[in-house]
Amino acid sequence: MGAARSARSRPARSGSARSVRRRGAPPRAGAGAVLAAGALLAAGACGVADAGESSVARKDSLVVGVNSDQPGVGQRVGGGHQGFDIDVAKEVARRLGVPPENLTFKQVGYATRDSMLRSGKVDLVVASYSITPERKTRVTFAGPYYVAHQDILVPASDTSVKDVHDLKGKRLCKVPGSVSFPRVHDEKGVAALPVEAGGYAACVAEMSAGRMDAVSTDDLILAGLAAQAAKDGRGRPPRFVNAPFSDEPYGIGIRKGDLDGCEAVNKAITEMYQGSTMRDLLAKWFGDTTLKVTTTVPQFEGCD
Amino acid sequence: MTAVQQTPATGTAATASGAPPARRGPSSIRPRRTPPPARKGLARTLPRTVAGRVRTLTALALALLLGLLGAAWWAVASAREGVQVIGYDAGPQVVATGDLYFQLTEMDAQLADALLIGGAPGGGRDRALAAYDRSRAKAGEALLQAAKLADEYTEDTTARELVFALGRYERLATQALDLDRRAGHTSGAPPQNVVLQYRAATDLMKLDLLPKAYNLTLDNGTLVRHTYEDRRSDVLDGRTLILVTGVALLVVLVGLQVYMAARFRRTLNPALALATLLTLVLTGVSAVMLSGQANHLRDAKDDGFDSILALSRARAISNSANADETRYLIDPGRADSYEQVFLSKSQTVLYLKAGNLNEYNQAVQKGLDFERGRVPFLGFFGTEASRSTDGRQRGALVKVLEEYRRFQANDRRMRDLVNGGQRAQAVAAHDAAAGDYVRYDKSLQSLIEAHQAAFRAAVADGEGGTEGWYGVLPVAGVIIIALTLIGVRPRLAEYRWSR
Repeated sequence: MGAARSARSRPARSGSARSVRRRGAPPRAGAGAVLAAGALLAAGACGVADAGESSVARKDSLVVGVNSDQPGVGQRVGGGHQGFDIDVAKEVARRLGVPPENLTFKQVGYATRDSMLRSGKVDLVVASYSITPERKTRVTFAGPYYVAHQDILVPASDTSVKDVHDLKGKRLCKVPGSVSFPRVHDEKGVAALPVEAGGYAACVAEMSAGRMDAVSTDDLILAGLAAQAAKDGRGRPPRFVNAPFSDEPYGIGIRKGDLDGCEAVNKAITEMYQGSTMRDLLAKWFGDTTLKVTTTVPQFEGCD
Repeated sequence: MTAVQQTPATGTAATASGAPPARRGPSSIRPRRTPPPARKGLARTLPRTVAGRVRTLTALALALLLGLLGAAWWAVASAREGVQVIGYDAGPQVVATGDLYFQLTEMDAQLADALLIGGAPGGGRDRALAAYDRSRAKAGEALLQAAKLADEYTEDTTARELVFALGRYERLATQALDLDRRAGHTSGAPPQNVVLQYRAATDLMKLDLLPKAYNLTLDNGTLVRHTYEDRRSDVLDGRTLILVTGVALLVVLVGLQVYMAARFRRTLNPALALATLLTLVLTGVSAVMLSGQANHLRDAKDDGFDSILALSRARAISNSANADETRYLIDPGRADSYEQVFLSKSQTVLYLKAGNLNEYNQAVQKGLDFERGRVPFLGFFGTEASRSTDGRQRGALVKVLEEYRRFQANDRRMRDLVNGGQRAQAVAAHDAAAGDYVRYDKSLQSLIEAHQAAFRAAVADGEGGTEGWYGVLPVAGVIIIALTLIGVRPRLAEYRWSR
């Protein structure tokens, strides 16, 4: 368009008959059109690339939201984080092509996980984050990378508890704000006696001290605590009842709509199960307990 | 007075210069001897004579036309490829692999049935085993298809692991059946050693085979999504390119028309006017056609492919939940666990907040009415209800929800009987509800069929929309070129004559 206008309005120099039939002009004009078209295409390609930049599949560095208060799963120790979730995050990041030095962990809480993903403060959330239909309306989930179950931990000496119904009349730990006790008491209708504690670590300590009979929440969290108790050498490690009564699919939270990122993370998880990575990680963090872990890949949620 | 004006083509200056230069005779176009003002950069490359400008504009018009045709050709090719992949190649193949999950759940369900029925008269066990064999054959076919679609190492490995796991499952199933035959039990829960053997088989199915089958279809589906997104964005980029080059071409053609009208004192150049009109039509019609193509691709993907796949999953998961009722009856030791997975599968299909199955059933029975923009439930059916606009799909969904409520009500009745200690009546109630389940499954199939119809329609529209365009584009191009040249040539000839 610009070329056409200037060709028309520019003052011509002199009326040489030879120049009337100049050969040079048409190819140049053609080149101009090709250039214009090229520029347009490039602009289009840039648009696509920009959209891709924000996908976790193509980032050079990642900030991962994790828990900091769950021994064996996600715990802040000294200056760093450690636990099963942390190792899973490291493996996923490595498979996404992010070197360890570009990986940062940031503490997230139950209430802040969704909003921190949305605002971009964290790129991924790996924090025993159960996939639920309600959360799926706000967050895209890769995985689950593990399906935890609500299970029961009892002292090693106990032989009376075989499933959740046997908790009737037993002193069961109740952590305010957690859904685990209500699930036993209200949903399963088992009349367990509540004994309050400030957190699941405190529950296990209280049980070791004989002040309660059982602790019930996600098996991985219990296993982390039991492994910790065994390491600390506080008597015989507690026993898993291994009678799960809920599914807690732990997903990796990603900004809503990042399908490329979700697919890439799913691929990473698949690889971790196809090799020995997952088996090794589960053995590393929970192998010292009597929890029966699943070492086959979970059924994914799907990214859309 | 010189033939070549230094003023712009339009305005009084041009007319003041008099008639077209050709009428002045050879002397008048002789180069002026006075040195022209020095021109710099690009300006030096611009033509200095009327004929030169006309030629340049014409060449520019032809180049833009080629650009326009090229963009249109590329966009049409992208649209056709998108329709081909989604409508005929990967799309239907991925849907076929979705059948793998269903057939696997069906195998495990039939095995549970065979064990529950045992050697009871009526040949129920043989029927269940025949159905088992049919499902196994279909599962094999779907697995083969999925392996063919695998385009990444991880997918390939998943398919291979599925083959191995299926072999292990078959062995465990055979052992369970052998033990059951030897025990010679008739209807009802089989003996403990049979139950333990069945647990090993069904655990393998649940923890190993089904997740992998599900994930494999998800992986295969990404292929379709990528093709869809790439081709659709190509079509939309092509449309932008056509609009830009088309408008540029129109400006050049109109400019040429105006310039020649001014310089040669013609009111209208009919050939050029026709070329302009044709360009306008070509640009407009191509842009409209490509918008249509983008929509057809979206309909085929969202309304067709995605919905079909999602509803097939809902159907497979429902089937597996139905089998969990049988497992609940077979294996009282795991009744809690089977009840819990039944709830979790039900909530995947249709999500309502509920802590236990009883609450869930109450919520479902309260009613599943929905309207656009206000869908009170989530899960597969929630998604379907939110996007359902088409009357036939909506009607089919309402029917599905009705049957789903009955399915859940039957489940409650069966469990209440078990809880009341009437296990035999519970088994009978479960058998009696089989017809209701089949009706639910049928209603779900007709909902899937409604989406398949939408899918076929979108694919047919997509195909029809680009039909003949490979012919239209070159023909339109040749006509526009010819008209442009016809319009310009006599004017240039005047110069040639004058030489």
